[in-house]
Amino acid sequence: MNQVVAIAVNTFKETIRDRVLAVIVVFALLMIVGGLWLGSISLGEQGRMMKDFGLVAVTLFGLVVAVFIAAGLVHKEVEKRTVFVLFSKPVGRAAFIAGKFVGLCATMAVVLAGMGVFLFLLVWAVAGEASGMLLVAVLMVYVQLLAIMAVTIFFSTLGSAILASVLGICVFVAGQLSHNVLALTRLGQNAVTEALSWVVYVVIPNLAAVDVKAGAVGESTLAWGEVAVWTGYLLAYVVVVLALAALVFRRKEF
Amino acid sequence: MTGQSALRIAGLHKAVHVGFRRRRVDILRGVDLEVAGNDVFGLLGPNGAGKTTTVKVALGLMRPTSGSVELGVPGVSHVGYLPENPYFYDYLSGREFLGFCARLFGLGAERRRERVEALLREVGLQDAAGVHLRKYSKGMLQRVGIAQALVNDPELVLLDEPMTGLDPVGRVEVKRIIQGLQERGKTVLFNSHILSDVHELCTRVAIMREGRVAWSGTVDEALDEAATLEEFFMRTVTA
Ligand SMILES: Nc1ncnc2c1ncn2[C@@H]1O[C@H](COP(=O)(O)OP(=O)(O)OP(=O)(O)O)[C@@H](O)[C@H]1O
Ligand SMILES: [Mg+2]
Repeated sequence: MNQVVAIAVNTFKETIRDRVLAVIVVFALLMIVGGLWLGSISLGEQGRMMKDFGLVAVTLFGLVVAVFIAAGLVHKEVEKRTVFVLFSKPVGRAAFIAGKFVGLCATMAVVLAGMGVFLFLLVWAVAGEASGMLLVAVLMVYVQLLAIMAVTIFFSTLGSAILASVLGICVFVAGQLSHNVLALTRLGQNAVTEALSWVVYVVIPNLAAVDVKAGAVGESTLAWGEVAVWTGYLLAYVVVVLALAALVFRRKEF
Repeated sequence: MTGQSALRIAGLHKAVHVGFRRRRVDILRGVDLEVAGNDVFGLLGPNGAGKTTTVKVALGLMRPTSGSVELGVPGVSHVGYLPENPYFYDYLSGREFLGFCARLFGLGAERRRERVEALLREVGLQDAAGVHLRKYSKGMLQRVGIAQALVNDPELVLLDEPMTGLDPVGRVEVKRIIQGLQERGKTVLFNSHILSDVHELCTRVAIMREGRVAWSGTVDEALDEAATLEEFFMRTVTA
C-alpha cells in the first residue's frame, strides 16, 4: 500500500510537471472561449450552444490528455530504466500498475476540474446563471475517462505507446456506440450477430450509459439510478482491466 | 552474517530471444558464484561477459532460464542495487528522489527525512539536493544512485560499476563508503573495470568470460600467479 501511494504521488508529480500538458490545457480553455463566439452567432440559444460546445471541448481535450499520458506512463519507466530502481526494491508489479493509474487519476482530476470550473464560470458570466448540472456532466466525463485510461495502460503493456493511444481512442469511440450496436442487432434477430454484439458489449465499456451531457444542457431528463449503476460497472471494469495489465506486466523482464 | 554466504548462484543460465525471428542468444552459460557474508567481492570481466545480467537475475529483474539464485538475506528489502549508467526521474530533485525511494521501503515521514539527509551528506550532495536530477552531471547521478542503493541500510549491496563517471574525489569517497559498509558488517558485490580499485577494496574476485565464471579466488591467489591483477586478468580472459 505504501508503495502504491509513493508511486501514485510520484506519477502525479511527473505528469503535472509536464509542459505538454499545460500547453494542451491552455489550448482547451481557448477552445471553450471560442464556444462563446459560436454562441453569439446562434441567436437566442447562446447559453445552450456554449454549454454544448464547452462540454464537447472538455471531453475531447480530456480524452487526448488521458490517452497520451496513459499510453506513455509504463513505457517511459522501462525506457528510462527507472524500473530497475523500482523492481529491485520491494515493489510488486501490480502495485506499480495501480500506483501509476492512481497518480494519473489525480492529474486528470486536476485537469478536468480546471476545465469544468472554467466553463462553469464562463457560462455564468455570459448567461447570468449556470446550473450545477454542468459540473456533474464534467464529473461523468471523468468517469468515462477512467475506463479509457485503464484500457490504454493495459494496451501499453502489450505493445508500443502509439498503438496503445490509437486503441485507447478506438475504445472511447466504440464505447459511445456499443449501446446502439446491441439495440440494432437485436432488431435484426440474427442469433450470431446478436451473440457477437454481446461480446463487444462486454469487452467495450459502455460509456454512453454515463453520459449526462444531454441532461446538463436541458435536452432530456436523467434516470439517476441507472447512471449510478453504470458508474459502478465502469469502476469494476477499471479494476478488471488493470488486473489484466498487471498480469501481462508481471511477465516482463528488464 | 560473517561466515555464511550472502549470495549463492549455481549453474545459472540465461537465454533471451531477440529480433523478429526470435533468435536465441545465450547470455549466461552456467554461472557459479558464491559471495561470503561481510566480503567485498569484485565481479570482473570484459565488456559483454555477462556481469550486469548476472546481477539482474540475482535481483529478479530477469528470470533465470535455469540454475538457482539464493540470497543470504530475507528478501530484496535487505538488498541495495545501483544499476549500470543509472538514470532517474529527471523531474524530481535529488532530495525528492531519495525520499521517494525511502517511501518504497515504507519508512515513516520522520525517519525518511533523517535518512535522506544522512545519505545526501554521505555522498556529498547536500548543496545540490534541491536541484532537479535533469540538471545533474554524470558523476552526480552516480552519487544519487549510490545513495538510493543504501536507503534501506541493506545487508547486501550490489553495485554495477560504482566508480564510472566519478571524479578522483568521488572515487575516493565511494571507496570509503564501500569500506564503511564492510566495517558495519555488510556484504558488497561490485562490477568494475578499474582493477586498481578492485585490488584496493576486494578480498575475493570472480572473472567472467562469455557467460561463465572463468576464474574465482582471492586477490592474493591471483597475485601469486601474476605480477599484477591486470596481467592476471589479461591472461584469464584471453586464455
Ligand atoms: N535484453 C537483452 N537482449 C539481448 N542481448 C542482451 C540483453 N541483455 C544483455 N544482452 C547481451 O548479453 C551480453 C552480456 O551483457 P551484460 O550487460 O551482462 O555484460 P557486462 O558484463 O555487464 O558488460 P559491460 O562490462 O560492458 O557492462 C552482451 O553481449 C549483451 O549484448
Ligand atoms: Mg555491465
